[in-house]
Amino acid sequence: MHLAHLRLRDFRNYTRLDADFEPGFHLLLGRNAQGKTNILEALHLLATLRSFRGVGSAAMVRHGQPGWFVGGRAIGTSTHDVRIYWSSRERRLTLDQQPIKRLTDYLGTFRTVAFCTEDLTLVKGAGRGRRRFLDFLLTQTVPGYLPLLQRYTRAVRARNALLKRKPIDEASLDSFTAEVIQLGNQLIAHRHDLMPALAPRIQAAHKRIAPNGEELRVELIPSVKKDFAAELELTRDRERKHGATIIGPHRDEIALLLHDRSAADYASEGQKRTIAIALKIAQAEHLTEIHGAPPVLLIDDVMGELDEHRRQGFLPLLEKCGSGRGQVFMTCTEENWPHDLNRVLQRWKIHNGTLLPC
Amino acid sequence: MASLPEPVSALVGALGQLPGIGPRSAERLALHLVQSEAGQVKQLAEALVTATERIELCVTCGALTETQPCALCTDDRRDSTTVCVVETAVDVINVEKSGAFRGRFHVLGGKISPLNGVDPEDLRIAQLEARMDGVREVILALGTDVEGDATSNYLAQRLTAKGVKVTRIAHGLPAGSGLEYADDLTLSHALKGRREM
Ligand SMILES: Nc1ncnc2c1ncn2[C@@H]1O[C@H](COP(=O)(O)OP(=O)(O)OP(=O)(O)O)[C@@H](O)[C@H]1O
Ligand SMILES: [Mg+2]
Ligand SMILES: [Zn+2]
Repeated sequence: MHLAHLRLRDFRNYTRLDADFEPGFHLLLGRNAQGKTNILEALHLLATLRSFRGVGSAAMVRHGQPGWFVGGRAIGTSTHDVRIYWSSRERRLTLDQQPIKRLTDYLGTFRTVAFCTEDLTLVKGAGRGRRRFLDFLLTQTVPGYLPLLQRYTRAVRARNALLKRKPIDEASLDSFTAEVIQLGNQLIAHRHDLMPALAPRIQAAHKRIAPNGEELRVELIPSVKKDFAAELELTRDRERKHGATIIGPHRDEIALLLHDRSAADYASEGQKRTIAIALKIAQAEHLTEIHGAPPVLLIDDVMGELDEHRRQGFLPLLEKCGSGRGQVFMTCTEENWPHDLNRVLQRWKIHNGTLLPC
Repeated sequence: MASLPEPVSALVGALGQLPGIGPRSAERLALHLVQSEAGQVKQLAEALVTATERIELCVTCGALTETQPCALCTDDRRDSTTVCVVETAVDVINVEKSGAFRGRFHVLGGKISPLNGVDPEDLRIAQLEARMDGVREVILALGTDVEGDATSNYLAQRLTAKGVKVTRIAHGLPAGSGLEYADDLTLSHALKGRREM
């Protein structure tokens, strides 16, 4: 899978951009604040319809303009034309000139995995980020997972609204509890199905890039141990006090343990970064396995921070994704890496919102 | 937006309240209307007023009607032992069009939605319970989103407690959608494949 054409209008610091990309390995070079990360952000947006910076659509409008446009031509088993327009008054998403009404009809058209500085929050941050990591993978690999997740989230929010009101309307609460349990059990089953394939991948990726002897353990810590309905019943008093549903897949955790201790609490910054990269490598490998073709890799600045050993561990994935019909985009401030890949590099110079081959 | 004369932007505002009319269409319609022949516009205004004055909701079932009660409620060729519960008056028309149902209707007026402040008391549930004499089966034909599902759960609880058989139309409908998106064939399959709750 690769992106053959990218078109930007009033996106971040790009007024207009039209660029053609071959498959292979693309190096985006440029000084700070020229627009390297912005390109990766646009590519990720085409795949996921959201920014990897975790900001809303308004932040991506070029200052002083009404809206942004991001379009692309993605080539996988077939060719697709994608166009996204956003302004405060209007949003449009079309696939091959047809408006898209449901996200599930769109996702999978173009797949990316981004490696960026924000990944560190996967290790350091709250459980929500790790759940989002799982949900991203399941959304991209299990048909129907996204609408299920959206339904569950809505059912929990509705239930929480009922729990906050006094006196509680017991009959209404029961009717939403039934939904939460029914939908939640399906989410739980999908997550349990994913872990036996995913955890060993993360551990293996970590072993490749971490110094010898460092061993990572990855475990799903489900909020519901066995029987959602029965366990929900047990939290009856507490959830009424909190005015919220306090157990369920929306409270699942993924434990990342370095020598049996929580990485968030005990690992060094470098160790945390290694774990974050291992998570993303596993994500890319899992998508490759399920879909039979690698996603487009977006690598932002991450390389500069890795020592020689960890770079070496990363290389096999880069080779795999950047060869054949695949594609890798990597940003760099100076050209200090990866000389090992020089033979296949396509270089681009990014300067103040322009992109030129060099 | 470049400044429109005040009456025009008021019209844009009013049109923009209509379903399916975004800000752009509202503006286009308003600009078209204010430039149309006066007679044409008067006719439209009168048609609007007459239609809204003559049409009301049936006191019994909640469907759109010119007479009280409506023809669906008074037609004795229809089966009074089955009642089909729908969310809106428009859903009645959709189910009628499918031709697959020959009983009575009951319009709920929405669905239980804690996030939108809609409680069971805001819906025509008490009126439904009051109609249960001689009814053998209640068919729930609500939307398939979370609120539609929960409302079906809720009604099933309340009505089975009264000894009525409650069924729900089959989920041939796309998940998360309402009846307005289902074509006649899908709807009649959904009705035939209904299951007891
Ligand atoms: N909405 C926006 N409108 C206009 N310019 C913006 C917008 N958002 C960001 N920028 C500008 O884009 C530039 C940053 O782009 P980007 O983050 O891609 O830089 P970069 O090349 O990756 O730099 P670094 O090497 O420091 O990471 C900055 O000059 C910033 O002011
Ligand atoms: Mg950057
Ligand atoms: Zn009637």
